[in-house]
Amino acid sequence: MDRCCITSFILLLATSELFVVVLSENSTGGTKKNAHELNFTRHKILTAQFECYQKIMKDTNHNKTDGSMCKRTWDGWLCWEYMEPGVTSAQHCPNYFDDFDTSEVATKICTNSGHWFVHPESNRTWSNYTDCRLKSNDHKKTALNLYYLTLIGHGLSLISLFTSLGIFFYFKSLSCQRITLHKNLFFSFVLNSVITIIFFTCVANNQEVTEANPVSCKVSVFIHHYLLGCNYFWMLCEGIYLHTLIVVAVFAEKQHLMWYYLLGWGFPLIPAFIHAISRSYYYNDNCWISSNTSLLYIIHGPICAALLVNLFFLLNIVRVLITKLKVTHQAESSVYMRAVRATLILVPLLGIQYLLLPYKPDGRLASEIFIHTTNILMHYQGLLVATIFCFFNSEVQGVLRRHWNQYRTQFGGTFANTALRSASYTASSMTEVHRCYSIDGHMDSLNGKTFHNLESTILRSDNLYM
Amino acid sequence: MQLILQSIFCCCLLAAVAPGVDSAKHDLKRSVWLQRSKRDLSLPALRALENRQFVRPDDVKDNLRPHSSTDISIRAKRSKNSINQSRRSGCSLGTCTVHVLAHRLHDLNNKLKIGNAPVDKINPYGYGRRRRSVPEKVLRLRKDGSGMRMVWSSSNSQSWLHKLEALLRRT
Repeated sequence: MDRCCITSFILLLATSELFVVVLSENSTGGTKKNAHELNFTRHKILTAQFECYQKIMKDTNHNKTDGSMCKRTWDGWLCWEYMEPGVTSAQHCPNYFDDFDTSEVATKICTNSGHWFVHPESNRTWSNYTDCRLKSNDHKKTALNLYYLTLIGHGLSLISLFTSLGIFFYFKSLSCQRITLHKNLFFSFVLNSVITIIFFTCVANNQEVTEANPVSCKVSVFIHHYLLGCNYFWMLCEGIYLHTLIVVAVFAEKQHLMWYYLLGWGFPLIPAFIHAISRSYYYNDNCWISSNTSLLYIIHGPICAALLVNLFFLLNIVRVLITKLKVTHQAESSVYMRAVRATLILVPLLGIQYLLLPYKPDGRLASEIFIHTTNILMHYQGLLVATIFCFFNSEVQGVLRRHWNQYRTQFGGTFANTALRSASYTASSMTEVHRCYSIDGHMDSLNGKTFHNLESTILRSDNLYM
Repeated sequence: MQLILQSIFCCCLLAAVAPGVDSAKHDLKRSVWLQRSKRDLSLPALRALENRQFVRPDDVKDNLRPHSSTDISIRAKRSKNSINQSRRSGCSLGTCTVHVLAHRLHDLNNKLKIGNAPVDKINPYGYGRRRRSVPEKVLRLRKDGSGMRMVWSSSNSQSWLHKLEALLRRT
C-alpha cells in the first residue's frame, strides 16, 4: 500500500512537469511568432517608405520647376510617381498582408487640375486599395486546387509510368529501337514527375525553406529545370525517330542511339547551366522561386523550339500517311479517319498540345482558363503517354496475353493444351520479329514489288508509331 | 541523319542564346544602376541608419528602381511603361505554367504577413493623404541654401527618423 502511493505520486509529478513544459513551450512560440509577423510587415512598409522618401528628397528641384503635374507621394503603403493630369496611375498591390492579392492593382487618379483624387466622402486625398482584397481568397483556393491537381496528376503518371517501364524491362522480347526510345521518354517523365512533386511540396509550398534560402533549394530548382528540359527533348527524339523512319529514309540502317542519348540527356544541361549562372548574377531571389523574370526564357526558348520542330514532324508524318493511304484506293473517309487517329495518338507523344495554347492571354477569365487547361495537359501527360504507348500497344497486349496463357497452361497441366501453346508461340514469335524490325520488312517489300506487298507495307506503316 | 541533328543543335543553341542576350542586356542596365546607387548608399546618414537596423542596406540596394533626372514628361512615360511592363513581366509561355504556379503558391502561403489589412485604411478615410513633412523639407531647403548638405546632415536625419517612427506606429 505504501509503495503504491509513492509510485502514483511520482507519476503525478512527472505528468505535471510535462504539462508545465508543454505550456511554456506553447507560450514562448506564440510570443515569438507574433513578434516575427509584426517585424516582417513593418519592415516591408518601412523599407518602401524609406525608398519613396529618398526619391522625393532627390527630386526637390523638379518639384520647384513644374506645378502642373501630380507630385510624387507616399500614401502610407505605396509610392506614387509623377503623373500627368487626367491619367489614372496603377500599381500591383503590395504583399504586406495575408489578404492582399499581389496580382491585383491599386489605383490613384490624377485629376485634370493636376492634383491627386480627393475622396468626396472624406474630403481627403485617397488611393483605391479596394481591389486588393476583392479576390484574395478566391486566388488562394485556386492556387491550392491547382497544387493538389498537380500532385494527383504526377502521382497517377508515376504509377502508370513505373508499370510501363516494368513491362518494357521485364519482357525482353519487346526490346527494339522504338521501345528503347519509349523507355527513355518514360524515364524522363518519371524523373520530371518526381522532381516536380519534391519541388512543389518542399520548396514552393514551404514558406520556411524559401525564407531560409539554402543552397540545396536552388540546386533543386536547377535539377527541376534540367529534367524539364530532358522531358521535352526526349519528345523531340521521338519526333526525329518517327520522322526519319516514315518520311526521310526508308532504306536507312538502324539509327545510332548515341545521338538520341546526347540530345535527350546531354543537351538540356546547357540552358539549365546558362539559366543558373544568369540567375545568380541578375535576379538572385530566394530559391529562384519568382516567375517575374525574363530569364526563364533561357529554359523555355529551346523547349518551344523543340515543340515547333515536332509540330513540323507531325504535319509531315500525317501528310505522308495520307499520301500513301490514298495510293491504295481506299475510301476517302477511311483515309482521313486514319489520319485523325494518327494525329490524336501522336499529339501527347510529341508534346504538341502546348502549342495549341502557346501564350498566356491578358484577360482575367481567359488567363484562368489558360492556367487550368495548361496545368491539366502538363501534369497528366505522363499518364496519357503511358496509356497509349504501353497499355494500348498491340505488341505489349500480345506479349501479356501470351504470358498469361503460358501461366494458365503451366498450372492447368493438361496434355491437350500443349499443342495449342506451341502453335500460338510460333505465330506470335513471327509477328513480333516482323513488327520490331519493320525497316527490314520495308526492304523486303520493296524488293518484292508486288501490289500485295505494297499494301502490307502501308498497313504496317500505319501501325508503326504505336 | 547527322545533318538533321546538327541543324537542330544549331537551332536550339541559337534559341537558347537569343533570349539570354536580351535578358542580360536588360538586366545589365539595372546592374549598372546598382553600381551607381552604391555611391549614394555610402552617405553618413545611411551609415547612421544602418547602425539602427531599421532598414538593411541590402534591402534598400536590391529594391531601388532605375531613376533618371532628365525630364518630367520622359519620366512620366517611363513610369507608365514600367507599370505595363511589370504587369506582363516574366514568362507567359504555356510551358512556364509550372513556374507561375510555384511563384503563386509561394506568394499566397507567406505566413509572416499580419493577417489582414486594416479596413480603416482602405475606406474613404484611409490612405492617400499627402504628408506635411515634405513641404517642411522644401521650405528648409530654401532657407538654408545648400540643400543636399542639410538634407543629409545628422540632425535632420534623426528628426526625419523620428517622423518615420511616428508614421510607422500609425500604420
